[in-house]
Amino acid sequence: MQRRKFLTLGATAAAVTVAAPALQAVDFRKEKPDAWKAKTVDDTLKALFGTAKRENKHVTVKTPDVASNGGAVPVDMSCDIECEAFVLIQDVNPESCVVVFEQNEHTIPKNSVKIKMKKSGTVYAVAKGKDGKLYCGKKTLEVALGGCEG
Amino acid sequence: MRVKAKIKGDVVKVKCMAKHPMMTYDIAKKKTGSRDNANFITHWDGKVNGKTVFDASTSQFLSKNPIIKYEFKAAGFKKGDKLVMSWVDLKGKTKTKKATIK
Repeated sequence: MQRRKFLTLGATAAAVTVAAPALQAVDFRKEKPDAWKAKTVDDTLKALFGTAKRENKHVTVKTPDVASNGGAVPVDMSCDIECEAFVLIQDVNPESCVVVFEQNEHTIPKNSVKIKMKKSGTVYAVAKGKDGKLYCGKKTLEVALGGCEG
Repeated sequence: MRVKAKIKGDVVKVKCMAKHPMMTYDIAKKKTGSRDNANFITHWDGKVNGKTVFDASTSQFLSKNPIIKYEFKAAGFKKGDKLVMSWVDLKGKTKTKKATIK
């Protein structure tokens, strides 16, 4: 009986080890559900990467200084080092996290998207480098007309 | 959805425009009375020859009919390869579009 139990355990352990590398493409939506409900920048980073400690270098964020329409604020973000994940966060909407770009050997951490912003605030782009540290760039902008209420 | 991909030097530049209302929880509550009517794109991916070149998880705060621009390394790919972009939204609807790299 004990031997059988031991075998089952072994089989389960083996199954887990095999399954883990197969999950190379992390769907952040499924893997880190807390990150999408977090209401502050620090909480989002903690939910995504386990830490909120970040350095202000390597990452550039470009937005207009004054956005006339909060419904579509253009944001250009880029990072000059190789990274594992590239995240866009802002601090005015009900939830903070906007988009997580996942990086692999083919991708380049250089993206531009249009986002909604409820009012004037700051957008943060955070890159998780290959060394495990977080690098951050931010930009504060004014929004003339909020875009979250439609 | 509209997708354009073009090789420039050693990178491929991609412009992708999706048609989607991107309804946030706040707008859904205001317009339809229930938060549950919210619907937005949650995940995008782009593949060339079966290799993932773009992978993004997004929340409700992308603009309506969102436009995403991105780049990937052209090494290993050539003109004429097919880029397959797809997204999935909160209700489980998916859309796929093929584009040829120019």
